[in-house]
Amino acid sequence: MSTDSFREARTADVPAAGAPQPGGGSVPPSGRSVRRKGLSERNRPLWMLIPGGALMLIIIVAPMLLGIYMSVLNLDQYTLRKWVSSPFVGLENFVEALTDSPLLHAVWLSVSYSLIAMIVTVPLGIAAAVATQNAFKGRALIRSVFLIPYVLPSFVVATVWRTMFQPNGVVDSALGTFGIDPGLWLNGPQTYWTLILVQIWASWPFIYLLALSGLQSVDHEVHEASALDGALWWNKLRYVIFPYLKGPLSLAFLIGMLHHINNFTLPFVLFGVPAPADVEVLPILTYVTSFQSFRFGLSAAMAFVSLVLVAIPLFIYLRAVKLDDAETPGGKK
Amino acid sequence: MRFASSARLAAVVAAAALALTACGSGSSDSGSTGGAVDGKGKKLSVLTGVNAQYSAQQKQWFTDIAAKFKAQTGADVEFETFASANDELTRIQTSVVSGQGPDVYSLGTTFTPTAYATKAFVTLSDDDWKKVGGKDRFNPAALGISGPDEQHQAGIPFVSRPFVMAYNKELLAAAGIDKPATSWDELAVQAKKLTNPATGTFGLATGYKDNFDPWKFIWAMSVQAGNPLVDGKNLKLDDPAVKKAYETYFGWLTKDKVVDPASVGWSNSNAVAAFAAGKAGFLLMTTSSSIPTLEKSAIVGKYAYTTMPTTAPGESSPKGDGDKAASILSGDNVVVADYSKQKDLAFAYIKLITSKEEQLNYQKIFGDLPANNEALKSLEDPKLKPIADAAAKSKATPFTGAWGDIQLALLNVTVQSIPELSSGSVSDSALQARLKDAQSKAQASLDRASKS
Repeated sequence: MSTDSFREARTADVPAAGAPQPGGGSVPPSGRSVRRKGLSERNRPLWMLIPGGALMLIIIVAPMLLGIYMSVLNLDQYTLRKWVSSPFVGLENFVEALTDSPLLHAVWLSVSYSLIAMIVTVPLGIAAAVATQNAFKGRALIRSVFLIPYVLPSFVVATVWRTMFQPNGVVDSALGTFGIDPGLWLNGPQTYWTLILVQIWASWPFIYLLALSGLQSVDHEVHEASALDGALWWNKLRYVIFPYLKGPLSLAFLIGMLHHINNFTLPFVLFGVPAPADVEVLPILTYVTSFQSFRFGLSAAMAFVSLVLVAIPLFIYLRAVKLDDAETPGGKK
Repeated sequence: MRFASSARLAAVVAAAALALTACGSGSSDSGSTGGAVDGKGKKLSVLTGVNAQYSAQQKQWFTDIAAKFKAQTGADVEFETFASANDELTRIQTSVVSGQGPDVYSLGTTFTPTAYATKAFVTLSDDDWKKVGGKDRFNPAALGISGPDEQHQAGIPFVSRPFVMAYNKELLAAAGIDKPATSWDELAVQAKKLTNPATGTFGLATGYKDNFDPWKFIWAMSVQAGNPLVDGKNLKLDDPAVKKAYETYFGWLTKDKVVDPASVGWSNSNAVAAFAAGKAGFLLMTTSSSIPTLEKSAIVGKYAYTTMPTTAPGESSPKGDGDKAASILSGDNVVVADYSKQKDLAFAYIKLITSKEEQLNYQKIFGDLPANNEALKSLEDPKLKPIADAAAKSKATPFTGAWGDIQLALLNVTVQSIPELSSGSVSDSALQARLKDAQSKAQASLDRASKS
């Protein structure tokens, strides 16, 4: 951590040197810590929050409040026209969502599938990042190829996989040459694993990218120092390099989980609607409730319940890894 | 969650649009009565589905119709297109909530009851019908899904797209079949004769994974057995006729073995491809839109269309409305928005596009059959004859706002049965349980429909 605080001090005084002082007076040579504080608290450019804040308000906060309001209305195709005055039903939608709909099953599917996909992609991403860390002939090409799944639109990924997973399709005939009959990929219990497989394929480069950025931030001196200490590759990786990756990977884990839980395109294109019961994940369920059954109120209640369910572990996680705390240098690493 | 928030977003956009309208200029009612509508300086906004198959032709059609409309009324037409049913639904929702948007919408027939339930579209009065050229200009069967009853109709038929089956004349002749079956039982027998696993040829081509076809089969077989599925406030999905329909439909694969086992993963287009390759005797549940594909295929000149069987499985003749249920009433309706400030202009536009000449022209370009009665009767292409027959023998699906859910429940039975279908048999108890589940979910939806 000593290198961290050193770097922090170093980066902090670069802008400080050029920035105009609010006090206008001369700076005492011993006032370095005072100066830093002054810059971060008094001169904080809070107005820069206005554009983003306004957009947040319009695009996220207002719709969310509306969504919460919708969740206490009996809003369907019969009442949509005068939706503001549609019948108020209190918590009925919530009760129905929790007791008489596949919501909890959907939450379980979403969270478990996201977690499994995450647990598999993290080692894959790290391994790929470590493997392409040192220069070798063709590294640029390999790195570009690694990014292909990530840059392809979800829709394309899902369409291609769906075609390959057709009964008697490419995957089946490939496995057939080894005498394996894999059964159905796009229907039945196996769909859950199909979804995980395709999700892993599509999302591991994201972990790879963030792991790579973590590796890049390891100072050259660190490599030298561990070499001088005689650390072999595994020990060096385990005790010297991995701690650097903790920050980026925590972030990757968080974003990845949220991304998977919210992923609509992949299951929708792979399995269609109505989805097989084993992949009726949250986004599919809310979609079907809203746009096939036209129960907008119920669907808003479902969305709200799932938001709360996802927010609790998220909050705990954020506190645990301190990603929300920019003051802690460890959070950046 | 992402999609739920886009619904919320839609609501916000709608609210914002509402706020903006207050500032905008409210154009006054066209108010003209009798004779040609004067729409000088006005602009009619029309929302219609994009035709991916013939997109260049569709653009040309928009230009041509706009020019003709301008010549008749002096008004411009602005066309907007939607790419999917969901896209359209979002547009309807925002327009319904905000009270502004397109003047004329084009709707699929099975979506018409849901749209009608929002009460956002004009229910035509006798006077209004006169403005679109009179009710008698339309094929009477096509009016079957325009509204809950004859006095309350909002959907004006634009085109018919009835479902028929295609058959391979060569394969049928080789198997010694002189004419295609008219009952489902006979069809299964013919299909067995046509099936030859050694050459990869199967009697029937159909897609079990299609998003629409499965419920259409179940609906047709049930109606032909005398069960219209919806009887007033009661839904009858747990009826023996429905179960028999599923057993027949699944049986082609599990018992009769007359369809390609791979079809558990097929959609309708896969089935068309198999038929086009000469690998199937019959192509079930298809429309005239398969003509362009088949005309370019290996079986060009060797296929013909005919109506699908109208005698329910296990029966010797159609029961109830059976003989009129060769196909669901399928096609497009146009509706006029209730909030439109230029309804007369909208009716004038509909009058133009449903005229005999325009309907025949549309048929030539896009293949969809005319809803205009005279135009329908004047079709001479022998290939289209059986399709036109099916248009007259089409029966509307029940007119209720709950139909979307009923359709979904019927489809879901097939979706959840596919793993067992693939492994060779769907157990009676599993099917029974799924039907019970479908019944209770869809009945709940029907209850809400009858309460509102």
